[in-house]
Amino acid sequence: MRSIIKLFLLFVLATVCHWGFALGFGFWGLSVNLMLAFALAFCTVLRPSFGYPVVFLCGLFLDFFGTKVFGNNACSFTVAAFIMYQVSPRFDFEGPLPQMLAVFLLTCLTSVLNWWLVLEFSSSILWPGFGGMLGGALIGAFCSPAVFWLVKATLHDGLMCKTQEHASF
Amino acid sequence: MVVKKHKTPKKHSVPGRNYWLPAGYLLLSLLLMILPLKGPVASFKAVFSYIFLPQIRAAHSATTYAEGVSQTVRELLDAHDENRHLKQEIENSRLLAEQAQYVLKENQRLSALLQVAPQRRWKGVWAKVAYREPSQWNTVTLDKGAKDGIVERSAVIGVEEGQVGLAGVVVEVTETTSKVLLVRDEDFSAAVYLERGKETGLLVGDGPRPIRIQYIPLQTHVEEGDNIYTSSTSSVFPSGIWVGKVSKVRKDDAFQTALTVQVAAGVHTSAIQEVFVISTGEKR
Repeated sequence: MRSIIKLFLLFVLATVCHWGFALGFGFWGLSVNLMLAFALAFCTVLRPSFGYPVVFLCGLFLDFFGTKVFGNNACSFTVAAFIMYQVSPRFDFEGPLPQMLAVFLLTCLTSVLNWWLVLEFSSSILWPGFGGMLGGALIGAFCSPAVFWLVKATLHDGLMCKTQEHASF
Repeated sequence: MVVKKHKTPKKHSVPGRNYWLPAGYLLLSLLLMILPLKGPVASFKAVFSYIFLPQIRAAHSATTYAEGVSQTVRELLDAHDENRHLKQEIENSRLLAEQAQYVLKENQRLSALLQVAPQRRWKGVWAKVAYREPSQWNTVTLDKGAKDGIVERSAVIGVEEGQVGLAGVVVEVTETTSKVLLVRDEDFSAAVYLERGKETGLLVGDGPRPIRIQYIPLQTHVEEGDNIYTSSTSSVFPSGIWVGKVSKVRKDDAFQTALTVQVAAGVHTSAIQEVFVISTGEKR
């Protein structure tokens, strides 16, 4: 129960941070997706059975404020989470460099995926521009070590975590 | 006979499950995307938007606060920069004030020199003390030399509190500078006379001690405060340059053949800054 409350509080913090960064850097034309950084951080800590729904909800949160398509962010976040879970056994996400690299690349991927999904499902163009996308991804990447540390420090010993996977089975 | 049933061990992970889970969520998201935005989806979105509204407000407040902080930091940096400039200006102003003070003092000193005007009586040039011998301060170097008409063995006079007094003699001359041996130096000597009885004697320097006059006849009536002037018998100094006043008469030696008179120099050579170098004697 305590882990769920912690997770909920982290989610609330993620939404506030995401909107804060989106508002702050949106003025400069940068598309910062801090929610994705939080979602990827959840993937490194939570077991897939908890990680996927959390990441899906993170994406869905962004979809509530979209006007073109409902569900595109949930879809792209799920893809990002899938990639994260696939590569996590082969990469050590303890260090800041892999965290930054993962956030940077997956932010770019989700931007492209969102653009494509919105184009396919609503024939609209949702593209922040290369500068905005790369700049936003870079800022997200720079923030990611702090986000990963926060998520790990908060959820490291919960029942939903990977560290408790064998104990729970 | 009891046959133990061996339980098959539980698998820690199901291989297919790793793919079914994301596939399920992908399918769900695709379904959501297919749904028309109007109707129930719009209502659903609206409800959740309201739920998330406080967070958006909090984020907006945080952003506004952060903008305020950045503005404050910018103002602080500007203030720091301005403060540095102002400090520099204050330093410059202080330096200018010191320079102005120096110029004012120099002006007052030069005005006093003009009032005394030794140039009305003697021919010569005004010169500034450019360098002072650091160890003994018995010689000074002037900023004028042969080019300005200064020759060796020229008399040098100074002015203090409106009084012209003997300061020294030129001992070395270059094109643009000249070195003056001051009266306090032990090598300095000049023929002088006492104002009261016109007796002549030899003025000599004594280093750090007061200058003195030697070879004054024993019977001479000398009192403290008597004025002393350069004598016409001097081959170097023009006659009548004020040297100073008698400060002490030594009569302690029983076997002495002449009086020795201590003199309070009229010009304190240690503080002298401008001098008049007499070049060709007295004006006619």
